[in-house]
Amino acid sequence: MDFKFSDEQKMLQESARSFLKTECPKTFVREMEKDEKGYSPELWSKMADLGWMGIIFPESYGGIGGDFLDLIILLEEMGRACLPGPFFSTVVLGGLTILEAGKESQKKELLPKIAGGELILTLALTEPSTTQYDPYWITVKAQLDRNDYLLEGIKLFVPDAHVADYLICAARTKGELNSKSGITLFLVEAKRPGIKWEPLKTVARDKQCEVAFKEVKVPQENILGRLDEGAAQIEKIMQKAALAKCAEMIGGAQFVLDMCVSYAKEREQFGRPIGTFQAVQHHCANMLIDLEGGRYITYKAGWMLSKEIACTMQIAAAKAWVSEAYKRVVSLGHQIMAGTGYMEEHDMPLYSRRAKGAEFAFGDANYYKKIVAKEIGL
Amino acid sequence: MDFGYKREEEEFRKRLCGFLDQELTEEIARQNWEDKGVGPEAREFSRKLASNGFLGMSWPKEYGGQGLSPTYDFILLDELGKRWGAHVPLDVGYTMVGHTILRRGSEEMKKEFLPKIVRGEIEFCLGYTEPNAGSDLAAMKMRAIEEGDVFFINGQKTFNTEAHYAEYHWLAARTDFNPNTPKHKGISLFIVDMDSPGITVRPLWTMSGERTNEVFYEDVRVPKNRLVGEKNKGFYYMMEAIDSERNHVFTPYRLMPILNDLIRYAQETEFNGKPLAMDPRVHDLLAQAAIELEVAQVFAEHSRWMESNGIPMTYEPEVTKNFVSEMEQRLVNAGMQILGLYSQLEEHSKWVPLKGRIEWYFLHSFMTTIGAGTSEVGRNVIAQRGLGLPRA
Repeated sequence: MDFKFSDEQKMLQESARSFLKTECPKTFVREMEKDEKGYSPELWSKMADLGWMGIIFPESYGGIGGDFLDLIILLEEMGRACLPGPFFSTVVLGGLTILEAGKESQKKELLPKIAGGELILTLALTEPSTTQYDPYWITVKAQLDRNDYLLEGIKLFVPDAHVADYLICAARTKGELNSKSGITLFLVEAKRPGIKWEPLKTVARDKQCEVAFKEVKVPQENILGRLDEGAAQIEKIMQKAALAKCAEMIGGAQFVLDMCVSYAKEREQFGRPIGTFQAVQHHCANMLIDLEGGRYITYKAGWMLSKEIACTMQIAAAKAWVSEAYKRVVSLGHQIMAGTGYMEEHDMPLYSRRAKGAEFAFGDANYYKKIVAKEIGL
Repeated sequence: MDFGYKREEEEFRKRLCGFLDQELTEEIARQNWEDKGVGPEAREFSRKLASNGFLGMSWPKEYGGQGLSPTYDFILLDELGKRWGAHVPLDVGYTMVGHTILRRGSEEMKKEFLPKIVRGEIEFCLGYTEPNAGSDLAAMKMRAIEEGDVFFINGQKTFNTEAHYAEYHWLAARTDFNPNTPKHKGISLFIVDMDSPGITVRPLWTMSGERTNEVFYEDVRVPKNRLVGEKNKGFYYMMEAIDSERNHVFTPYRLMPILNDLIRYAQETEFNGKPLAMDPRVHDLLAQAAIELEVAQVFAEHSRWMESNGIPMTYEPEVTKNFVSEMEQRLVNAGMQILGLYSQLEEHSKWVPLKGRIEWYFLHSFMTTIGAGTSEVGRNVIAQRGLGLPRA
């Protein structure tokens, strides 16, 4: 049992934190919310130079050879800084899927480019009819037409589709709509004719898009993984994405807590700092408990994942817990920051809006409670 | 970063599980848990734990232990917890008092008491709380007056659990009466034989049917060599012991058998032809409990890791205590909801499900956020020591 970071992990955390402190001030975050692309190619390139995009790819594919814990450390810092841009989409949704499901030629061709910051990817999974979260509810069709597949349908809540070079699209190649079997993952170049994307206006302003596929021709060799057996890959991506999202959320929650504690020490009312009042102290204590519980369960699941120990339960527990915990942290944060924190120009809403987006990304607490229920035998 | 256990530790766990599955009967577990009193069965089990090498693993060799990491004791607590055992039979001595004797006692005191604690032979009861000294322990009034070779002790304690069967009283009393001395700087700790003349123990019955006690001291004579450590340092020793106490008492896995019972109940009980286990509301309640148990366990692993590695703890065990005690209440609440009307039946009633354990737990659970420190004081500690928020 050891909760300490290794020296390398500590260095990664410290260097990431100070890099982002300089490169990603809140003015930049707000600028990117309004910016059409939503990220800065210069910053993207600097991140690639630091090896961030390839942090979890093996060295043979141009990566650093780190493990899931390293990715968690990075994402926690990105969450703390509200880093805008398609890192999560590219590395977690795109890169890890290719690493997991791709054939050797796909891995050799794409992973080094992702590591080098040359490509942006995303995953097109849920659809307009996914009114209750279900990553296996796939109605977008992929019909075989000689040697190609024709993709037809609409995907919704696809992050960063507007800047992606590739979209990994989950489509149905056979079977009933509610069947897990018959789903296939396709690697689709964004420039293929028939793809139209449109950004959605989301509370987190995180560039999620509607993507319409109209007879998009995709060659058979662009299948990622095995025909009709995409569900198994989706399960793996979901686990990694959910846990990765937890790391990002924990980083954000820590920033909120730090901000509130500083404020409580300085802000005076009734002749004393508000942090001397028991109600405020208890709010902060509750935020700390929520946050640290989320952090430790995320690290534990991340460690298990990196050691390939079965951790469906722990990942589900992490996302279920953190989804609700971050929400509570934000709520108490607003109470402590009061009127000041309610203003658009304050940092607080940057976090509360992102917390809401993250709550629902890759399944919320209700979704993961269903998984836990199954794990415990119900 | 590592969340696993060493191979030797897992081997120990395996041997321990084999032993417990055979020896830890329901009777013994209930004597442990329900504070009705550790009876002969639990005492025998305590000695057996020791003689089979499961007690004292992390205690120094010179007092009969194995000199290993505290992790072994935590493994013991986890495995007892999973089997309704809750804690070692003579737990005040083993998990609270013994550590303080080890840290602060004279060599003579250590030699007298530690081997017996490690062999599972003696028990202590805590003598801290008074009618006017609960959360504000430093307000205690019981007085110990020095006269030559002894102290004469007078006063009253309350909520002294186990006082009716423990061999020794771990007593906190005032030894400095100077009005200018801050209250917490004038308290000393003593080990008192419970059969000393002048001690009267009167039962107090809790709403959960458990016994605790009022204890009255009338000119009780305590030899000077029974003063623990230095005079007037008792309060510090008490605070020092709190972190370890939390780590050893608030074991998340003691809630696992309750959750398992509820899962089984849901699987085996039907409504209108369908098992309750198919009801989404039941899924939600039990999944939430399972998730909270995972989080509770990782909190405990964290504060235990700090203790096992000598990392100074400030607020971490308080977080463990708060979380475990509050999740216990939520778990019981969830259980009651699943049992519905049946949740109100007591143990020996006709029709009672699950031996009435959930009903008993409901009554007992009011105590978990109060005893060993209230959640409110706990949050003050977390805020002040953990986050540096200023005192009023």
